[in-house]
Formats: sequence, structure tokens, C-alpha cells
Amino acid sequence: MTAESVVHAEHLSKWYGQVIGLNDVTLSVPPGITGLLGPNGAGKSTFMKILTGQLKPSQGTITVLGEPIWGNPALYARIGFCPEQDAFYERMTGLEWVTALVRLNGFDDAEAGRLAGRALELVELTGAADKKIGAYSKGMRQRVKMAQALVHDPELIVLDEPLSGMDPIVRRKTIRMIRDWGRQGKSILVSSHILYEIESMTANILLINQGRILAEGDVHQIRDLIDEHPHTVYIKAEQTRSLAREFLAYDDVLSLKFEEGAVVVETGRPDLFYARLTALAASGELGVIHEVTSPDDNLQAVFEYLVKA
Amino acid sequence: MPIHDQGYRRYLGTRMPRGRAWAVITTAGLRTFFGRRTFLGLLLMAWLPFVVRTVQIYAAANFPQMAFIAPTAETFRQFLSQQDPFVFFVTVYVGAGLIANDRRANALQIYLSKPLTRGEYVLGKMAVLMTFLLMVTWLPAMVLLLVQVSFAGSLTFLKSNLYLFPAITLLSFVEATMVSAAMLALSSLSNNSRFVGILYAGLIFFSDALFGVLRAVTGESRLSWVSFGNNLAQLGDAMFRLPLRYSTPWPVSLLIVVALIVASGLVLEKRVRGVEVIG
Repeated sequence: MTAESVVHAEHLSKWYGQVIGLNDVTLSVPPGITGLLGPNGAGKSTFMKILTGQLKPSQGTITVLGEPIWGNPALYARIGFCPEQDAFYERMTGLEWVTALVRLNGFDDAEAGRLAGRALELVELTGAADKKIGAYSKGMRQRVKMAQALVHDPELIVLDEPLSGMDPIVRRKTIRMIRDWGRQGKSILVSSHILYEIESMTANILLINQGRILAEGDVHQIRDLIDEHPHTVYIKAEQTRSLAREFLAYDDVLSLKFEEGAVVVETGRPDLFYARLTALAASGELGVIHEVTSPDDNLQAVFEYLVKA
Repeated sequence: MPIHDQGYRRYLGTRMPRGRAWAVITTAGLRTFFGRRTFLGLLLMAWLPFVVRTVQIYAAANFPQMAFIAPTAETFRQFLSQQDPFVFFVTVYVGAGLIANDRRANALQIYLSKPLTRGEYVLGKMAVLMTFLLMVTWLPAMVLLLVQVSFAGSLTFLKSNLYLFPAITLLSFVEATMVSAAMLALSSLSNNSRFVGILYAGLIFFSDALFGVLRAVTGESRLSWVSFGNNLAQLGDAMFRLPLRYSTPWPVSLLIVVALIVASGLVLEKRVRGVEVIG
């Protein structure tokens, strides 16, 4: 465990009867924003429920902000948790709901009301604070859940799929908001099964699948990790057949297929392939190359690749 | 245009000490029900027997020809028995949704991520129901005792029946505890408060009906312990120093009441926890 880590787990496992939710997970989450990525059923929610003290690990240890979390409610005051599912009374207004919850942190009525108003302002829900939650849109519901997670000024905010169901504009605002909280010194662990969402918030990610951590660290480190594995390049060009003939002569090209106006190449040495391709495009010998993209260039492909592996 | 600071300022005021979060749950629950007219109407109705008894005590104290209705120690026992239907309705109205509604709203996972233990959560919920139950049992009975003293203009009755204070208090608290624990346990088993209410009513009526059948078959009341209500009645008689109405020894009834509370606690321990989700 590093002195700085906000969450540290060692050999953490959780079983639900015969089903395993987390499998021998050892990791450290540094301060700042960390993305937890994995498909549905990967164990993200299980991990988040363990680190917010709601579930007891079957095996292993976990410390949050330097203290064991299980059976330590005093520590919960330093953590804010935004669950994935809706978790409120629809007949209450947003302000009433957040106020009621912040009172559990020991604030009196007046202070609770003030803090709730402030939190709703931060998630840009002031205008809807006095509306019943039942009338909220999906995006507003997500934001009111986030408001209750940050209302008591926690050091660590745990957000389970916070962008789920948000429209693009609200999504962008929320991403900006989360980044701002990170800049203000809060540690944030945010889960998602969509990598570009996480990529827009942080470069520090944890990849989880089938209850195991597949990879952790900086996005670029993970990229380095997968660069040892086949890499797909999509090349849209005038003379795809000529290009294909040229590529077949390269040792590092593992497979090749045609798509409409394009050739898709799988290479074992992406750096070398890109260098040759750049030279080829510059020479113009095999016609114009319109577009070079790689599904592996976005994190979604990185994630899919690692999950498949 | 002034640009406002969007950042947080740390709260420097005082906070409620740890371990008191249950009071927040209780306060919220009490406020919710006091805000409902239907419930206030029910509470008002629950105090009607008190009004009738007050008139009785007043008449007996002020009109010699009405001395035959003068209250005795048994009057207070009868009064508490008369409150049983109100105990039932308050329990169903208040208790059925106390945990079931939180389960339906997925609120437990939010609550339990706050500085609130499961024990504090249950205690807070239980305090809501117990408060209302004591408001229709202990509170009117105690006030009635004070009314008796004030209308009689002397402490004679009180001095000769001093045990009424602990008897009223003990019976009211035992009843409120047993009923609240049982209802909370049932409430934790479902997400549907109506179903919980029906289940509770079903259990009460079934246990009474079962006793009725057993009594008819055996011709005696030794098996009165199968009825939840009978156990309380039996304990009440013992506390008020009255002849027991059934042949079941009162320690057996006490054992059943304690067992029911313990069983309810075990159910709550199992059911009140963060939702186990693989996500």
C-alpha cells in the first residue's frame, strides 16, 4: 500500500453463494479521479459496495482513507456514494431528500438545508430543488443522487455509473463537474462500462472483468501493455488491392481483409507498421490514402481487447 | 458581473455526536406521519376511549349517585385492553411501510452508506412505531391516572394502587416492543407495504382463530400461548395483579413474547443490509 492511496485492497474476494463477485483483487487507488471500467456483471458494483462499507468481503482486506471500512460508520462521513440504481422517494422534492440524508451526518436542520441547497446548486438543480423527484428526468435523478453524495463534503466520492441515462449535454456538464471536483482535491472513483466516458474524465483507470482486475494504471501504460498484442488498423484508400499486396509482404501483418473502400489490417508491431504506412502515404506510390483509423485508438477497443484476452 | 466561488467551504459548526443517527430516522418518520391528516384522525379516534373514561371518572367523583362507576385498578387494565384495536390499526398504518417502503425505493443502500449502522436504522424505525403505540396506550393511561387523582381531590386511590404506574408502563412498553419488532420484521420481508399489512393482520387473526379452535377441541385455555394477543393479555393480567384469564402460566406467555422479539431481531439482522448486487 502506498502512503497516498485512498483505497487499498489486498486479495479481496466476495462470493454470493456459488457466484463469485470479486476474485482475489489486489489494488491501490491513488488520490484524484480513477475510472473503474468493466462490463455489466464485472464486479464494479460489488467492489463499490465493499468500499463503501455496505458489503463485507468474504476474504481479504480493504482500507479506505487509511482505515478499514467494514463496521466503521464513522468513516462513512468521509465518503460520498452515488449508487447506480434510483434510490429515493419520488414523492419528496430534491431539496427534501438531500436535506434528510445530510442530517444523517450529524448536521442540524438549518445547516442541512443550507448544505443541500448548495449541493443542488453545484449539480445545477437549483431550479428543480422544490419539484418532486417523481417529476425529474433521468439526468436530473442522476444529478440529485450525485448531490447527496457530495453534500457533506466527503474526501472520497464513489460514483457508480453516474452518466447512465444522461443526454449528451448533461453528460458533458457532468463530466466537467467531476473533473472540477477532482481539481478541488477530492478523490473520485467513478465506474462505467463505456470507456470514452472515463477517458474524458481521467487517464487513471482500473479494468475489471469477471471479478478480477485486468489492468490498472495510466491509460498509456495500458496501451503499452496491449501494444504487444495484435493491433487493428483501418485504411480507407483509392487503391486498396495494391495496398493489400504491399502489406502482405510485411512480416508483422498477421491478417488482412477488405471492407467497402478500405482495407483492414491486423499487425503485431503497430509502431513499425505505422512508420511504413506513413512513408507509403508520403510517397504516393500506391495512390491516395484517405483515412487511417484504428479501433484500438479509442479506449473502447483497448477495453474490448483486454476483456477478450 | 461578480463570479461566485463554486467550491466547497468546510462546515465548522458542531455536529450531532456519533450513535445518534437513529434519532434522525425517528424524527423524519414522526414528521412524515404527523403530516398526514388520515393518521391524525386515527390518533384522535384512539383517544376517544380516554375521553369516555374521563367523563366516567368525573361523574363518579362529582355525583354520589354515580359512585358505582368509580374507577378501580381494573379500570386501567380494561382501558389498555380497549386500546388494542387502535394498537392494531396504528401498527398496520405506521409499521407496514417503515422498512418495506425503503426497500421498494432502494433507499437502504443510500442510508447504509451514511454514518448510520444497521442497528441504528432499525432502532430509528422502531422508535417511530413505538412512539405512536405509546401515544395510544401508555400516554392516555397515565394521563387518565392523573385525571383520576385531580378529580378525586386526594391521593388515596393512588397510594393504595401505587403499582399502577409500573404496571401501565411495563405493559405498554412490552406490548409496543413486541408489536413493533414483529411488524418491522414483516416489513423487512417485502417491498410492498399493503402486503405486509395484510400479512400482519392475517397472522394476528390466524393465531386467534387457532386458539379458538384448540380451545373448542380441548375444552381448556392452556394453549392460549398460540395467540400473540393472548400472551399480552395474560402478561397484562399478571402485571395488574388480576386473576389470569387463561390457564397458561404467565412465564410461558412471557417466554413467547421474548421469543417473538428475538425472532424478529434475527429476521431484521438478516434482511436489513446493503443490497447484494453483482454489477
